[in-house]
This record gives sequence, structure tokens and C-alpha cells, in this order.
Amino acid sequence: MSIKRNLPTSVMSGFALSAVFVLTLLNILLQNIPAQINTAGYELLKLNADDGVANAVTTVVVYFRGFDTLGEIAVLFIASLGIGHMLHLSDKCDLKEHSNFMLYTASKLLFPIITLFGVYVMVYGHLSPGGGFQGGVIIASGMLLLLISHKEFEVPHSLIVTLETLAGVSYVLIGLIALVVLDVFLGNFLPHDVSEMGLLLSGGVIPIIYIIVGIKVGSEMSSIVQNLIKRDANV
Amino acid sequence: MIGFLILSIFIGVVLVAFSAVIQKNLADSIILFMGVGLGSVVLFFIFNAPDVALTEAVIGAGISSFIFLMALKHLRSAS
Repeated sequence: MSIKRNLPTSVMSGFALSAVFVLTLLNILLQNIPAQINTAGYELLKLNADDGVANAVTTVVVYFRGFDTLGEIAVLFIASLGIGHMLHLSDKCDLKEHSNFMLYTASKLLFPIITLFGVYVMVYGHLSPGGGFQGGVIIASGMLLLLISHKEFEVPHSLIVTLETLAGVSYVLIGLIALVVLDVFLGNFLPHDVSEMGLLLSGGVIPIIYIIVGIKVGSEMSSIVQNLIKRDANV
Repeated sequence: MIGFLILSIFIGVVLVAFSAVIQKNLADSIILFMGVGLGSVVLFFIFNAPDVALTEAVIGAGISSFIFLMALKHLRSAS
């Protein structure tokens, strides 16, 4: 790699990047963002409240398009499978040297907070923005932090296999139970009363499915990240 | 006022994206790509899409930049 940089483009891009930062800060400081900027989907999202789920996007992703979500996590599984196949190493490389001391110390502090935030985003997916996909990837980024700071750390392979298998099987099982009970694949067969909307235990089967999606996505992304890191350590 | 701010963030995102394309150094390009993600997060959040904003912050600015950086490292060690 060359140390010498192309100066004018670097300066220009630095200016542009700092302009975005300054405008973001300005937005946060001025605080005069109106509560509601009218977009086209807003009136439509208000109609989706009859499933007892406060976050209408979750209703669409898990309930109205539940089979789509099953396909999406299958796609992610295939991507993880491909990366694991291409970057698999037969011999485990062990690097004795530790990373930067600051990173090593800070990761011990940051990893529980990142994991807690990921679990929060995952469990509150039917109440607040976020959900299984985002929470799973946040947990995987916590694993990434541990992997780059602790050289001896490894995400346990048997844990990934167990969690991912159980999550995938139980997603399909819930869909099949709904098929038996309601004649609808992935239907909402648990009680979901609109009056309970906003509570943690509401929405029937939707939060359970989103937590399952989060576990599956988290284990898949962790395995992708680990394969990339371990392969990289040996090169 | 809010329209002006949104418009300026739009222009800033387009500028960062353009300078990410014309960079000679690929590592600079990846850092600027993360800047595009940052601006997009603000825009998504202003336009009532907090779910997409969270996804963009986690996947667009986090994991995909990591994958790009790892790919760049592989390319450098291969060449």
C-alpha cells in the first residue's frame, strides 16, 4: 500500500465528510424537527393497528410478509454457508500477541453494553423501531469487537450450530402449528388483543417469531464475521 | 428551516458519495462510504423511517464496511 495520498481529493472528501457531521450536529442542537413530517406511508401504517402490535413495520415484516422473512433468513443462511465453505481453514491459527491495550480494556466494558442493546432491540421489536434483524446484527458486531480485541477468543462453533438449528426449526414449527390451528401458514394463533397494544407481552406470536429471527441472524452473522477474521489472521 | 437542513444533508451525502468514487486510495473510499451511511441514517430518521435508519446504521455503516475492509486486506496480501 502506498502512504502517499492524493491530496486534493482527500481534502475535498474531508470537507464533505465534516460538513455532514456539522449538519447532523446542527440538526440535533436546533431540535426544531417537527414531530411528524408527512410521508406517503404514514396514513397507511395507521391502518395496521388491529394486530395488537405497536410497530406497524414489524406487523408487515413478520405477519403480513412472514413467508418472505423465512426466505430472507434462508438467503442469509446460504450466504453464511458459502463464506464458511470458501474461507474454511483446516488448521486453526493461534496468534499469541494481544491487540492494543486500550482496545483490549475497552472491549471488556463495551461488549456487555452492546449485547444488552442488541437484546433490547430484538425483544422490543414489536414496540419500538428495530427487531430481529437489527438486534442480531448488533450482537454479531459485539462478537466482532471481542474477536478483534481478544486474539484467543472464538465464538463456540457448537453454540452457533445449536442456536441456528433450533431457531430455524422452531420458526417453521410455529408456522406449521398456525397452519393446523388457523389454516394459515405463520398465522397469529396466540391471543392478541388490541387493548394490550404497547405491552411487552402483546401481539401474540409476532414477538416470538422476531426473537427467533434475531437468534438465527445473530448466529449466522457471528459465524460470517468469525470466518473472515480467522482467515485474515492467517494470511 | 427544516427543509433547508434536509436539503443541505442531501447535498452533503451526494458530495461524500462522489468523493468516495473518485478516491485513489480504496481505504479512503471505504471510510467515505461509511460517511454516506451516516448521512443516510439522519435522512431516514427525519423522514419517519426509524426501522430503516437502525438497519442502515448497523448493516450499512457497520458490518458491510467491515466486510469491505477485510476484502481490501485480502486483496493487498494477494497482490
